[in-house]
Amino acid sequence: MSADQLVFWVFAPISIGSAIAMLLQRNAVHAALFLIVNFFTISVFYLVLGASFLFAVQIIVYAGAIMVLFLFVIMLLGVDREESLLERLRGQRVLGIALGVGIALELIVAIRAGVGFATHAPANFDEVANRGGNAAAISAVLFRRYFFPFEVTSILLIVAAIAVVVLASRQRPSLARATEERATDAEAA
Amino acid sequence: MTTPISYFLVVSAMLFSIGTIGVLVRKNALIIFMSVELQLNAVNLALVAFSRMHNELDGQVLAFFSMVVAAAEVVVGLAIIVTVYRRRRSASVDDLTVLRG
Amino acid sequence: MLDLIWLVPALPLAGATVNLFLLGPSRPGRRLGRNGGWLATALVGLAFAVSVGALLDLLAIGAEERVHVTRLFEWITAGSFSVDVAFRVDPLSITMALVVTGVGALIHLYAIGYMEHDPRIGTFFAYLNLFVAFMLVLVLADNYLLLFVGWEGVGLCSYLLIGFWYDRPTASSAAKKAFVTTRIGDAAMLLGIVLIFVHLGSLDFDAVFGEAAGGLTQGAATAISLLLLAGAIGKSAQLPLHVWLPDAMEGPTPVSALIHAATMVTAGVYLVVRSHVLFELSGTALTVVLVVGLVSALYAALASIGQFDIKRALAYSTMSQIGFMFFAAGMGFYTGAMLLLVCHAFYKALLFLTAGNVLHGMDDETDMRRMGGLRVDMPVSTVWFAIGALSLAGIPPLAGFFAKDQIVSFASTSDRDLAWVLATIGAFLSALYIARPLFLTFFGRRRNDSHAHEAPGLMQTPLAVLALLVVAGGLVLGLTAEGGRLAVFLEPVVGAVEHGGGALSEGTLIGFSVAIAVAAVLVAYWVWASGRVNWQAFPERQPELAGWLANAFYLNALYAWLVQFPGKGFGRALRVVDERVIDGAVNGVADEVGDASRLAPTIQRGFVRSYALAFLLGAVALLLFLGLRIV
Repeated sequence: MSADQLVFWVFAPISIGSAIAMLLQRNAVHAALFLIVNFFTISVFYLVLGASFLFAVQIIVYAGAIMVLFLFVIMLLGVDREESLLERLRGQRVLGIALGVGIALELIVAIRAGVGFATHAPANFDEVANRGGNAAAISAVLFRRYFFPFEVTSILLIVAAIAVVVLASRQRPSLARATEERATDAEAA
Repeated sequence: MTTPISYFLVVSAMLFSIGTIGVLVRKNALIIFMSVELQLNAVNLALVAFSRMHNELDGQVLAFFSMVVAAAEVVVGLAIIVTVYRRRRSASVDDLTVLRG
Repeated sequence: MLDLIWLVPALPLAGATVNLFLLGPSRPGRRLGRNGGWLATALVGLAFAVSVGALLDLLAIGAEERVHVTRLFEWITAGSFSVDVAFRVDPLSITMALVVTGVGALIHLYAIGYMEHDPRIGTFFAYLNLFVAFMLVLVLADNYLLLFVGWEGVGLCSYLLIGFWYDRPTASSAAKKAFVTTRIGDAAMLLGIVLIFVHLGSLDFDAVFGEAAGGLTQGAATAISLLLLAGAIGKSAQLPLHVWLPDAMEGPTPVSALIHAATMVTAGVYLVVRSHVLFELSGTALTVVLVVGLVSALYAALASIGQFDIKRALAYSTMSQIGFMFFAAGMGFYTGAMLLLVCHAFYKALLFLTAGNVLHGMDDETDMRRMGGLRVDMPVSTVWFAIGALSLAGIPPLAGFFAKDQIVSFASTSDRDLAWVLATIGAFLSALYIARPLFLTFFGRRRNDSHAHEAPGLMQTPLAVLALLVVAGGLVLGLTAEGGRLAVFLEPVVGAVEHGGGALSEGTLIGFSVAIAVAAVLVAYWVWASGRVNWQAFPERQPELAGWLANAFYLNALYAWLVQFPGKGFGRALRVVDERVIDGAVNGVADEVGDASRLAPTIQRGFVRSYALAFLLGAVALLLFLGLRIV
């Protein structure tokens, strides 16, 4: 068994296992932690697939920034708050799981039909695609062909930041009360 | 690389479906959000796998953009959840029934 | 004047329109209604004048060419089917038209006085005029379809007039009964007309009667004739479609006189005589006519004897007399049938209107058991009734004698001995059944307490005219079977009278007829007027026989029973269908919609997660669909 096969067969179960575990946690913090584990496994997959830059970015951005943000908010909202197990919507759980499994099966069938289970990746990836190293190669593609989307995403980030500042700022007391009343009226109606 | 590409795709499919089930079954808004992130990651994995298969870097660049957008989305989404929580003192999506018809 | 023949039906039609829409129903105190009656009478009288003018014009033409057809306009053209509104003036139709307008005008005049106090007198005269208009369309039509229009029209007016006092439940059910019963005949008649078109390609009389010999097989002719006969049986109240006529006496007496004695009920006879070519092509049909007529005559005669209501007794007598007309036609003696038709119109109208006098004077009492001895209080009416009754009985030189005697004599010369015997019995019975009301009502001991008063002059005048016609009519029109004026006049249409050779001479036959008639009258006098026979005890002594006679052999009950079973069963079945199937379907749909709409909001309970589930459901389904296409 070669190295990448070993890596794959070790980390694939961990990945799926942590995902299922995340699903089953009643405590939000535990769920977040399992998700972090899952992100790590995915970054390993990136590495195996020859995307070393993304391997790093995944850890830094996802596990390091996004999940941290998640944990902040979980703390803010109350760590000890546990979700009740009672399912109020009839058939939601059953249907949800059934449909999820259905999606998985359909995707697997699609994979088999489109790609085929036995297709191997070409061996010359490092020479053709990753010329000069993955980061250099990505930057060559990113700043040339995808330059415009790159700029747009930077604007997107700025807008997101502004939006958050606006959303999260505490309103003036009178305005807050008015908005609160309107909300309760809407609720009662 | 000796593992067939389709294996990665299968893993991606399974992660995606687990994320879907999470969205449907859980009531806590944060956990639902986390499941959505899981879905996004599954898709990223698939993109990178295809990129490897086609010997092009476009898939990786797309996955990169996806991560950026996911980050922005997470930020805004969490801000919304916080705002809603401030209003209703509850993080359960089942309490958001104003759209009831 | 011949081209103006369309005025004859048009004038009464105008009167009906005016009375219905312009003058309106009158309320008590408004004199307008009575004037409507004068207008109606005047218009019918005017129509009579036009008819006389047409007659004179017709007589000016040579005997063989006395046919004048006035085409008014093209009515229907559909492919090969073409029918015009065209009126035909020939001896047969002008005879009928004269009778209808003449007797009609007299009855209109009578009705002005009779219906004086009725609040809806305007409507009454509108209907009466409408009837005359339709009857004239019937007799003047030049094709079968227009004749059918008139046929249906008189049926409608009969219904309207029988049920004129619609607040009386007996009257309205009698009207419905009349309409429904004649409908049966009318449906058959329509089939016959359709068959005529199918076989001969036209409905115009000239075309049909000209082509019939070549174009019709005997079977087809029989079928057509029998179907037309069914219509005639219904309209003329012969067995088995006669049940409506006695009940039709619920209508006002002028209606009974005009429609159910003088004119509408004779439409059947007119139809048979007009279509005689078709009937002769099929020998069977003619025999059926004969049998129907004879049996109806005898049946009605016996029934009439059992009736205590004076109008019902007269109704059955009408049925019997028409039976004689059918009998004559069935033997091929069309002129005899027509002579009886004309004379019968005169004396039956006279009888009915006099009965109207009696009702008028006795406060609408119709039961003869409560009458008697009225000649003291109503001497003039007694004379009228006597004239009419003796004419019907066949006492010379009144009109009825000539008509009846000729028919019975004709029967004796034909090979049908049984028919002759039965006809003679019928003649005896007819004298009996008409003398009976004469004696019961006007002679004998008084059985009533109230003081009857004679009718006013306005009502007596038409009766006088009719009486005159009864006295003189026979002599003028039908002195002999072959040479009588009417017979000769009608010859071009119906053919000459063919006597067979008879065993008895003419004089013997006449003497025999007169003897029978006189004997019957004497018997009637002895039983009902002389007081020597206790006829009032008859129902108790012989309840069964009395019951059979009074209830006209229970045919009404039989029909009711026959109709009841399928009717009720069908009604019940329909009710089940209506409740379970139709209501079930409608209510079921409503319930389903209700259930569905109760189900619908469940989609929108506001839970985001169920929305998400819905999304996923759609996505999975779509993927499935796409996937199945690839695999």
